[in-house]
Amino acid sequence: MNKNTQLFTEEQLDFIREMMNVGAGNAVTAMHQLLMCPVDLKIPKVHVLPVARVSSIIDNPTSLVACVKMGMVGDLGGAAFFIVPERHIKRLITLAEKVYPGLSQLPGENQEEDLSVIVEIGNILCGVYFTAIHDFCGLNLYHTVPVYTLDMIQSALDEALVKLSLQIQMAILIENKFVIKEDHINTLLLIIPQANSVKPLIDALGKAKKVYGSA
Amino acid sequence: MTHSPHLISSTGIGSCVVVTIYDPRSKKGGMAHIMLPGSNGLNGTDSPYKYTDTAIVCLLKKLLSMGSAQQDIVAKMVGGAQMFLCSNDTGPGIGKQNISSVRRILGQEQIPLSGEEVGGNCGRNVDFYLDSGRVIVKTTGEKMDVEI
Repeated sequence: MNKNTQLFTEEQLDFIREMMNVGAGNAVTAMHQLLMCPVDLKIPKVHVLPVARVSSIIDNPTSLVACVKMGMVGDLGGAAFFIVPERHIKRLITLAEKVYPGLSQLPGENQEEDLSVIVEIGNILCGVYFTAIHDFCGLNLYHTVPVYTLDMIQSALDEALVKLSLQIQMAILIENKFVIKEDHINTLLLIIPQANSVKPLIDALGKAKKVYGSA
Repeated sequence: MTHSPHLISSTGIGSCVVVTIYDPRSKKGGMAHIMLPGSNGLNGTDSPYKYTDTAIVCLLKKLLSMGSAQQDIVAKMVGGAQMFLCSNDTGPGIGKQNISSVRRILGQEQIPLSGEEVGGNCGRNVDFYLDSGRVIVKTTGEKMDVEI
């Protein structure tokens, strides 16, 4: 195990994974309410790993993605990224368009993709995961106004990963596969607490353990 | 570091900067994918090629040790984008800092910058051809590649 994930005991890692599973449940509810249709979710993959290893999880660093970036503020500082592969963007926009006609503009010739729907979904999903963290271990987390880019995943993440990997850091990467009307929508949520937020997270996990017992 | 007819590629360049140095006489050269402007954070396990100052000096030393003459060496630079445009950004982002740091270090080492494709807010891929020293830049969303 790498020194960064050694910051956590196996039990604490289980707690983090469990929090993220609660977040996944919240995410399904949020997507269902947003898209007004049945939404299912395959078992999510939750990785707790050093920031420097995030790139190794990504299949193809040059694949195009919509990447929504939000600052994480409150009891923990850091950043969160909501990522949708290019091939799934249009599906998601189309699903949202059926519920909210005129909300988003599909790209025409010489027209840039309007990603406001993706930004809004990222905004909501990040919020529900933060709520899960709050419910589980009492940390109050908020995110800043999202900004986005449509680019290669490696390019989109390089600044955050480089800056944060200078310190002892860990990241939580959640791979979700939503099943919506027989369509599969893959998303990634990357939560990177800054170095001085790891201890408050560990302390909060300790308090949660006292309340919930072993994970 | 390598020589003609080889090709060196780097992909997914955002705020990072790729620097190539090349000796057209011997057709030897090298590339560094630089992530940060200064090596203040360098520790024993870090790669010197991660930081502008140490990366350029390392590349230069290697090329000189391969028999190149200082006055023949030229450099090119690609990258340094600002991937997210934030209205509340204060000060230059990492991308701009990387660009100005590369210019400064190249100036200090007296290596002329013979081409660049920097800034903007899109990711880039780079191919560096050692047979001619040309650098082909593919930018996300752009149909045409750029040669520098």
